[in-house]
Amino acid sequence: MKSYLKLVNFEINRFFKLYLIIMALTVVSQIMGTIIVSKGNMNYINQVIYENQLSVSQYIEENRPFSFQRVVYSEWFTMPIFFCMALLMIYVFFIWYREWFGKNTFIYRLLMLPAERITIYFSKLTAIMLFVLGLITLQIILVPIETFIFNRIVPAEFRTSYPLIDFYSVEIWRWLYPNTIIEFILMYGIGLIVVAIIFTAILLERSYGLKGIFSAVAYSVLSFGILVAPVILSSIYTSYFYPSEILLMELVTSIIVLGSAFWIANQLLKYKIRV
Amino acid sequence: MIEVNNIQKKYGKKQILNGLSFTAKKGEITCLIGVNGVGKTTIMKAIMALTPIDSGEILIDGQKIRHDSFEKITFIPDTTTMLPTMKICDAFEFMADFYKSWNSQRAEDLLRFFKLESTNRIGNLSKGSLAKVNMILGLALDVEYVLMDEPFSGIDIFSREQIAEVFTSHLIEGRGVILTTHEISDVEHLIDRAVLIDDGKVIKQFSVEDIRENEGKSVVDVMREVYR
Amino acid sequence: MSVKFNNRDPVYVQVIRHFKEQIAKGYFEPGQEIPSRRELANQLKINPNTAQRAYKEMEEQGLIFTEGNMPSCITKDELVLKSVREELMMEAVDLFLVSIKSINVPLAEVLDLVQKKYDADNGEVEELT
Repeated sequence: MKSYLKLVNFEINRFFKLYLIIMALTVVSQIMGTIIVSKGNMNYINQVIYENQLSVSQYIEENRPFSFQRVVYSEWFTMPIFFCMALLMIYVFFIWYREWFGKNTFIYRLLMLPAERITIYFSKLTAIMLFVLGLITLQIILVPIETFIFNRIVPAEFRTSYPLIDFYSVEIWRWLYPNTIIEFILMYGIGLIVVAIIFTAILLERSYGLKGIFSAVAYSVLSFGILVAPVILSSIYTSYFYPSEILLMELVTSIIVLGSAFWIANQLLKYKIRV
Repeated sequence: MIEVNNIQKKYGKKQILNGLSFTAKKGEITCLIGVNGVGKTTIMKAIMALTPIDSGEILIDGQKIRHDSFEKITFIPDTTTMLPTMKICDAFEFMADFYKSWNSQRAEDLLRFFKLESTNRIGNLSKGSLAKVNMILGLALDVEYVLMDEPFSGIDIFSREQIAEVFTSHLIEGRGVILTTHEISDVEHLIDRAVLIDDGKVIKQFSVEDIRENEGKSVVDVMREVYR
Repeated sequence: MSVKFNNRDPVYVQVIRHFKEQIAKGYFEPGQEIPSRRELANQLKINPNTAQRAYKEMEEQGLIFTEGNMPSCITKDELVLKSVREELMMEAVDLFLVSIKSINVPLAEVLDLVQKKYDADNGEVEELT
């Protein structure tokens, strides 16, 4: 347990500088974006009013007020999110491959630590999940701040409200910021399983080389197949299962897939891994 | 005692280890000898479970290797086992953090002996200094067995002499050491046992002093006989 | 103390021989303290096991003795010291005889040469001092 915590701490420290940079980038981009979009819109509106000699209420009759949604849909807002996601996706692979390549053969040291080798796996998995959680938390904190800035720049007449729940219900955001606890557990559970599968696939490649890539792909496809089987089943036999039954089956397949990812990784790290 | 029993290993189509067996006792320095590529490094990695074997078994004090074995046995490979961004003191801290058997005092003593600064970054060290740091990372652990892969390779003669001094000191006494080298002349007078490897097998293992006493031959003489 | 070891004779034998030479030459006084096994190994750059074996042998041969926890010392036994000198002398004589036998010269002639050379060398030494 102690080794696990120390390794998690170690993994977090290794990425921390880059992590702070992308967080800072997100903050800067989104706040600047809020200001620029708000001011931009206001400037446009003021220009229209001036040119056409409208009153405020006249303008509002012709044109709908806009909401914070405009900011949310702008690149300033979405780009950093996609950038962070892409970076983390890359890091899911890099967090392992960095131990073998470069001037680095740190994998020797990790495999020779006086702890169960699966601890290495768990610590990297935990680190990734914590990084994701951190970014989510950052976004959750930023939205009220950005809304506040927006409200300060755009006078009340020109804006409508954009309650947070709407923000979090928009399709794509629904995946990242689920509404209920159950949805949250579901989404992050799936995320965890996906990362676990990728990790085990990486270990397959590291243990078996070229043959390993094939088995890694096969393993991933199989795991994914098992994972979504209940959902597919329920769409074929549409009225056969209760939703709660589907949920239960999903839970079972998730546990099976996650458990096998851990078990295979453990076997590989103990008996098959090569430096 | 480290027992390597009849291990086999294929790499691609090549049979690298073909029923290889030998033993290395505690309190003795055992040297694996063979041409480049014969598999000496592979054997060491196999002992440390850093590479799999196809069959056979490797026992350390009668047990198969487990995670806590790494408080009893350590490996000093030909490459660095720390991050290049780490300073030497960071590396020491890491070791102290994870290993109960880490002896900080000895690490400091060795650092001074090798004339290195704890603020040097691992990535900036010369090959000789890197080898010395590696040596410290291995020897500052209070382990019973130390495996060293080519401790003298590619190092200037003065660094080599420093490292050779380690073998005649209390740092080695009582421990079981397995090393590989192809600079036999550096170690002839230091080792207890020689294990000659060829073609995936051990062709001769003997006590160096006994061969001198009974046959008047040096290790190099025996090698000339055995490797035709 | 530094010794050049060859790789064909057992190192521990060479260590013992070195000690005997030092005793015969008088560099090691009777009863003189000698370095510990570890120190010796370090000084001579040999395996500590070898140093250990050498000491064990020398102890058995009576060349050194160890009292309790004290450091080991050269023997004070005159007989032993005398036999060491004799042993080395005999070795030198044997070596000498083997070499002259191969040249096939009468002993008296050789001994005469030896005496002359010995005096000449000594004379040189005296001139230098």
